[in-house]
Amino acid sequence: MIKSVERRFWHAINENKLVSPGERVAVAVSGGKDSVVCMHLLANYCRVKRCELVAITVDEGIKGYREESLLIARENAKMLGIEHQVVSFKKAFGSTLDGMVKLAIKKRTGLNPCTYCGVLRRSILNQAARELGAHKLATGHNLDDEAQAIMLNYIRADLSRLYRLGPSYSPLEGFVPRIKPLREIPEKEVALYALLKGMNVHLGVCPYASGIHTEVRDFLNKLETNHPNSKFMILRMFEQIKPHLKVAVPGFEMKKCENCGEPTSSRLCKTCELLQDIDLVNRQKNLISL
Amino acid sequence: MSEIEVRVKIVGQKSPRRLKVATRTTIADLLKKLDQNRETVVVSLNGKIVPEEERLAAGDLVEILPVVTGG
Repeated sequence: MIKSVERRFWHAINENKLVSPGERVAVAVSGGKDSVVCMHLLANYCRVKRCELVAITVDEGIKGYREESLLIARENAKMLGIEHQVVSFKKAFGSTLDGMVKLAIKKRTGLNPCTYCGVLRRSILNQAARELGAHKLATGHNLDDEAQAIMLNYIRADLSRLYRLGPSYSPLEGFVPRIKPLREIPEKEVALYALLKGMNVHLGVCPYASGIHTEVRDFLNKLETNHPNSKFMILRMFEQIKPHLKVAVPGFEMKKCENCGEPTSSRLCKTCELLQDIDLVNRQKNLISL
Repeated sequence: MSEIEVRVKIVGQKSPRRLKVATRTTIADLLKKLDQNRETVVVSLNGKIVPEEERLAAGDLVEILPVVTGG
């Protein structure tokens, strides 16, 4: 089991050329099992392939949930001797996610916490990775995450987002290319790997997790139990379809957000759009304190 | 059919509970009985992580750890 996970990790990186020797890789580490396993495996890879690794943890400020995982992320990075940067919603945007949820309810924006969290977290990770001079940004997305994302974007008929899924995504200027070296490994196997290696990982569930994501996850897990290998086949089928999606995805011109200067295809980036809806207008220009 | 008694604990809950199951019951059978999806949990038997095909014996301690949490 341990060797199998490691072999598939290395295969994913080498087959898809996710990391080149000498590159600086930022790894997003929440403290959860997937990101901690990703960090450990990348640490070993970078030792052998002579690339640099830096860990970034996003503190959304979710009370009763993030504090413990933050400590676990820090402890694992220290154990591996890896530089570790923590960037917070509070510092970057002026409010924790808990605070934003209260503002959103007051303003009746109708958006669920996952929307804010997902958009803002990706934005802050990209900004931090760029400030740290990273060539790649690695995340711990596993097979379950990929299968869920494929199904969710299909249900939403979101071709653009569907097209961006894959082992790596190299977007335009201002974005650090993202890589997902665990994407072919089932979530349960990642968990088993962490447990068998005696890793300290956070197994808590985000208090905001709900809605269609959870329903799709539960559906896929039931499907997998009754029809093993379903998740993997969803991924494989998507990979066959993906090259044909390009013609249907609308092109766009990259600009700079009028508010914060971050890359966007619109007048305002999605982050500023969401923040302005709840009257948060100031974004921290520099996240990394050196 | 004869039965055996095992102890079952879902990690996070207070203490193990005793459960009677048929002899030759596997961990997979037990998970079904408890309405636990095997895709979302890791099971240890007497302190050791084992495959779900493992058969239970009288007195066994089965610990069920939910692991599908996002991370």
